[in-house]
Amino acid sequence: MLSEREAAKYPFMSRGVELVEGLNLKLEDLADPNYRKVLDRAAERVTEAIVQGVVSARLADPLTELLSYPVAVMFVTLIGEHFLSRRFALAEAVRAYELLQGEYEDKIIQIASDEFRWDLKREPESIDGVIYSLRLAYPDYLRASTGFHEPKWKLVNRKLRDGQVSLTGVEAARLIQVEVENWIKERVSTPSNFALPGPLQKHLDHIRKVFEENRSKLGGSSLPDEVVNEAFPPCMRYCLEGLLSGRRASHMERFGLTSFLVNVGMPIDDMVQLYVSVTDFDEALTRYQIEHIAGLKGARTRYTPPTCNTLRTHGICRNQDAVCKTVTHPLSYYRKKARRLQSKQEEAEPSNTTE
Amino acid sequence: MEEWGSPQFVAEQFQRWYAQNSHTIPAPVEIESREFGFLTFHGRNMYRHIKLPTQAELQRYLRQNAPAHSYYSSSYYEDPTAEMARKGWRGADLVFDLDADHFDLPCQREHDKWVCRNCGKQGTGHPPELCECGKAQFQTETWLCERCLQAAKHETQKLLDILIQDFGVHQEELTTNFSGNRGFHVHVHSDTVKTLDQHARREIVDYIMATGLEAEYQGFSQRNKGAKPALAEGGWRGRTTRALYDYLSVVTEERLKEIKVSPKAVQAIMGERPKILRLLMERHPSNVTPTIDPKSLQLIVDDAAKLQAAEIDTVVTTDIHRLIRLPNTLHGKTGWQVQTVPYGELPDYDPLSSAVTIRGPSVKVEFREAPRMRIGDVWFGPYSEENAELPLEAALFYLCKKGARLA
Repeated sequence: MLSEREAAKYPFMSRGVELVEGLNLKLEDLADPNYRKVLDRAAERVTEAIVQGVVSARLADPLTELLSYPVAVMFVTLIGEHFLSRRFALAEAVRAYELLQGEYEDKIIQIASDEFRWDLKREPESIDGVIYSLRLAYPDYLRASTGFHEPKWKLVNRKLRDGQVSLTGVEAARLIQVEVENWIKERVSTPSNFALPGPLQKHLDHIRKVFEENRSKLGGSSLPDEVVNEAFPPCMRYCLEGLLSGRRASHMERFGLTSFLVNVGMPIDDMVQLYVSVTDFDEALTRYQIEHIAGLKGARTRYTPPTCNTLRTHGICRNQDAVCKTVTHPLSYYRKKARRLQSKQEEAEPSNTTE
Repeated sequence: MEEWGSPQFVAEQFQRWYAQNSHTIPAPVEIESREFGFLTFHGRNMYRHIKLPTQAELQRYLRQNAPAHSYYSSSYYEDPTAEMARKGWRGADLVFDLDADHFDLPCQREHDKWVCRNCGKQGTGHPPELCECGKAQFQTETWLCERCLQAAKHETQKLLDILIQDFGVHQEELTTNFSGNRGFHVHVHSDTVKTLDQHARREIVDYIMATGLEAEYQGFSQRNKGAKPALAEGGWRGRTTRALYDYLSVVTEERLKEIKVSPKAVQAIMGERPKILRLLMERHPSNVTPTIDPKSLQLIVDDAAKLQAAEIDTVVTTDIHRLIRLPNTLHGKTGWQVQTVPYGELPDYDPLSSAVTIRGPSVKVEFREAPRMRIGDVWFGPYSEENAELPLEAALFYLCKKGARLA
C-alpha cells in the first residue's frame, strides 16, 4: 500500500510504470464503467495543466491517481499539440516539485539517483546560517540549471568543492522538477493517432474543447517557448532600452512594448518587476494594466501590438533593418528572426584554431 | 631577394627535426576519433578534416610533411573526415587557453607593434579598436619576453588550482602544455567533462573568470549570518575574501573613486583599513557590510576578484569543435616545441631553454627590427637593420618571427 501511494505521488518513476504495466490493462478495459474515476481524473490532470498550469495531487485514492497518469499522457499525445505537451509536462513537474518539498532528503536522493542518474549525496553543512544538506556533482547541476537565470543559481555563486555543489533540499527539489519536466516532455512530444472507445473519446473531446478555449490566452501560437531578446525588432528594442535607461516613454510606446512582451511570453511578474524597477510606477496599478493588456482583466481579450504602420505613424518605428522590409507586424519580425537565429545556432559552425 | 623569415630554410629545419624526432610524438587519447589539421610554410590554407587513426600514421604524416603548425580536435567524432555538420560529435575534452596575447601587460608596449594598413599610423602594445582614420585594419607584430611567459604561468597555476580544488579534477586527468609561443594550454580529459554541452562550458568559464560573481552569495550580506571568517574556505567564498584582503591592503583612493565606490565607503576604507582587514581575517564576511555599503562592496569585489580568477580565452573553452595544437610538435612562429609540463613542475619550467629543441651551428642572418631575447642561457639582440651570425637556435626564432632573413 505504501509503495502504491509512493507511486501515485511520482507516477513517472519506474516503480509506478512497473505497477501499471503489471496490471496489463488494455484500451478497451478502460472503457469499462469501473474505470470511470480513472478517466475523469486523467482528463482532469490535462485540463488542470491547461487552465492552472499545475496538476493537483489527489493521494486519497492512490490507484486512481497512479493509473490516471498514463491515460493523461495518452490524451496529450492524441491531441498532438506541441504547446499542450510542453504545458502538461511543466504542470506535472510542478506537481512533483510541490510533493518533493515535503520529502525527507533520503527520498530526494533516491529519486534523483534512481530515476535521473544524478550523483547526489547527503553531506550537511551550514553556510551563512542556512543548512545545505546535499551535494550534487557539477555536471548534473549544470544540466538541470540550464534554464535558470537568477544569480543565485550561477555556478560561481554556489559553493563548489571537489566537483560538488552544495544544495538545500528545496533547491534539489527545484532541480529535479526540471528533470521531471524534460522526462515527461520527451514522452508526450510524439503525437499519436488511433481510435478510442466511446467513453475515452468523450473525455478527449472535452479536453480538446478546454484547450481550444484557452489556447489564445495561453499564447500557444508558433512563437518560441522562451523569450529571445536577440529577436526583438529594432522598434521594440528601442522602447525597451528607452525604458531601461529611464527615457520618458509615450503612452503608445509603453502600450506597444507591453503588448509585445505579453505576446512573446514574458511572465507578467517579470514585467511588473521590470516596470517598477526602472520607473516610479505604482506596483498594483502597473500589474493591473499589464494584466489588462494580457487579457486577464476587463474585456478578457489579449491585445496584440500595433502594426508596423501604426508604429510608424506614432514615430516608434526606427532603425529598420533587412527583416523589417519583409514584415508588417513586430510579432512577425520576432517569429521570423527567432527562427533564423535558431537555425543559425543549429548549424553550430566551427571552429578556428588555437594559437 | 630572400623573403623575410626565409620560410624555405625554416621548413628544411622542421623536416630534419621531424625525420629524427617524429617517433617520439605520442598519439592523443582516442586518436581514431580526432580530426587533424595542418598548416604548411607555403600558402595559408589549412589542411583539415584529416583522420590519422593510429600513432604510426600520425608519425608518418609528420615525418613526410613536417608541417609549420599541427592541430587536432579537442572533440571526439564518429567520422572526423566528414564536413562539420556531419562529423557526429561524441564529446570533447575541456580545453583552456592561457595566452599572454590576451593579457594586458606593460611589457607589450615594449615589444609589440602595430601598423594601420590604411593610413600607416604606428603604435606599440595592442592596437586600438579603431584607428584615427576610422578603419580597423592593423598589421601586428607580437614578440614575447620572460614577463609575458611568467604572467601566463601565473594564470595557468591559478586555473590548475581551481580545477583541482573546486571541480575535483584529478591530476591524471590534467595535461598542461606550453603552447610553443606565448602561453599554455590545459586539457582535461575524463568521462565527466566529455559530454558537457556549451552551456555547461560557459558556466565553467564564468566560474573560472569570476564573471557574474556576487558578493552577497560569498557571505557579504547583512542577511547572511555566520560565525567563521571565510578567508581559509574553499571555492569562491574563500577566494573572494582573500582577493578582497589583498586588494584592500594596497588599493589607492584614486582607484576606488575610479570604479565609483561611494564617497562614504572610500572614506571608511582609507580611514579604517587595518580594522577592515582584521574583520576579514577574523570574522564572518557579513561584518564588513556595515562599513562598506553593498553596492560599493560589489564594485570592489568586481575589481578585486581578478586577482584570484584565471584569465582564460573564453572562446576556446566554449567552442566544442575546436582544433588545438598537437603536443610535442613544433610551432611555426617560434620554432619551439609544444611541450607537456608535468604537474608540479610548472613553477620551474623554462620554455626558453626546454622548448628550444632545434639547435645547431651558426647561421648568418640579416635583421630588420628585433628585440632582445634570451634563448637557453644566452642573450641576443636587440637588432636593428644589421647583419649578425647566430647559433641556429637563436637564428631560427628570429626567422620564425619574421624579424630576419638569411643573409
